[in-house]
Amino acid sequence: MPRVTVTVRDSGGRTATATADYAIAPPVLGGYYLSGNGDPTADMAGGNFRSLTQYRSFADGYLFPGWNKPWLLTLGRNGFAINMVLELKHYGAANTGPQTFTVDGVGYTVPAPAMTIQQRPGTTWPKAYGYGQVLAGLCDGLFARALSQYRTMGFPVTIQLASELDTDHEFGTTESGVAYDWADSDARAVQAMTYIVNWFKARPLPAGTTFSVGSGGFDRACFRRTHPESLMSRLDFLQWNVYATDPGHTALARFRRTKDWAVADLGPVALARPVIIAEWGVRVAEFPDQAAWIATVPPAIAQLNAERGPRIVRTNYFNSGWGTLSPKATGLAALRAAYATKPYG
Amino acid sequence: MAAPTVSASLNASTYSPGDPMTLTLSYGDPDTRPVTVTIVVTDAQGNSSAPVSVTAVIDPLTVTVSDDSGRTWTRISDTGAVAVYRAVA
Repeated sequence: MPRVTVTVRDSGGRTATATADYAIAPPVLGGYYLSGNGDPTADMAGGNFRSLTQYRSFADGYLFPGWNKPWLLTLGRNGFAINMVLELKHYGAANTGPQTFTVDGVGYTVPAPAMTIQQRPGTTWPKAYGYGQVLAGLCDGLFARALSQYRTMGFPVTIQLASELDTDHEFGTTESGVAYDWADSDARAVQAMTYIVNWFKARPLPAGTTFSVGSGGFDRACFRRTHPESLMSRLDFLQWNVYATDPGHTALARFRRTKDWAVADLGPVALARPVIIAEWGVRVAEFPDQAAWIATVPPAIAQLNAERGPRIVRTNYFNSGWGTLSPKATGLAALRAAYATKPYG
Repeated sequence: MAAPTVSASLNASTYSPGDPMTLTLSYGDPDTRPVTVTIVVTDAQGNSSAPVSVTAVIDPLTVTVSDDSGRTWTRISDTGAVAVYRAVA
């Protein structure tokens, strides 16, 4: 850490000295996600992309690097910061039953997922392994399978547990026939996330492995409930997602929203953690000129990082869903230009 | 003769590369006082010049700023009690 030293000397040779220490932060990492966990290599070519988000379900037998994803190994070995979102959510309708498999010579049987999440009225509620199932140790085989595959990759990643706990819990959850409201679901998730992080940390991990828990960051009370100091002491990052979906949304206001709640509500352990924006995007319906909005992101991040509170260290553009770049080439050019700019460049 | 005092503070603890950095010093010494000397020259005939005055500082202080990362700090202002320096991160 650099130090500036000030000395004051009088004519008699008597001196007084004061020091002030400071840090120079590395550039913010500009990142990307391509729809469907697609190969982003071509989209990122020629740009200052250094960070990537990926999504996997613990139910999947191929978490690391993922089915037909040799490119993820290439990116990781080239020094990309990989944010692996590992979810208890079951992605598909196929095979939601129990699983029996062998990991490093040890056989495991994991029961069928017993929880439903994202219970938005009028939609089909996704299944997920239940927080109670996790705490009962019934999902340990899933974690063992993930860890075994992770160890073969040869580089560390950030493991983000859950994509958005607020989205998962917004309409309550149900496990084994018992309904839990939003707040109860948050409390149960904190216990389960703590269990999972502790499970991984109790075993040898690739050096540099880091952890976070996921949130959309759109609900202040949920963000506070899901970031107690006891859990944050086991995590390395804060994380939230950022979208512009209203014509009035500015980059500064959107990236600031959850940070302001964090600074107001969270404890010193949480606030000592840097921030990963695992997803950010601007919806073309409200912002036909996505490139113009994207160009306002670098100064917004620079301003927020100059203010008190946790620093944003990675921002991964979500080229899917709300963030879909249209036209794609124009959007990618805007991302390249943004990531060539301070605080990224 | 008393010993001088100094305190230093930066406007942030962490900077991004290229950011402006501001260092504010507060310093002083009880012995440091400005004095004004007024001189009148009178000849043998009793003619006196117009008075001129000069000021001087008793026990002036010398301020030095160094940075172990080699960063150059430039003085922007100095009142004699508060000095402001700038550097680029």
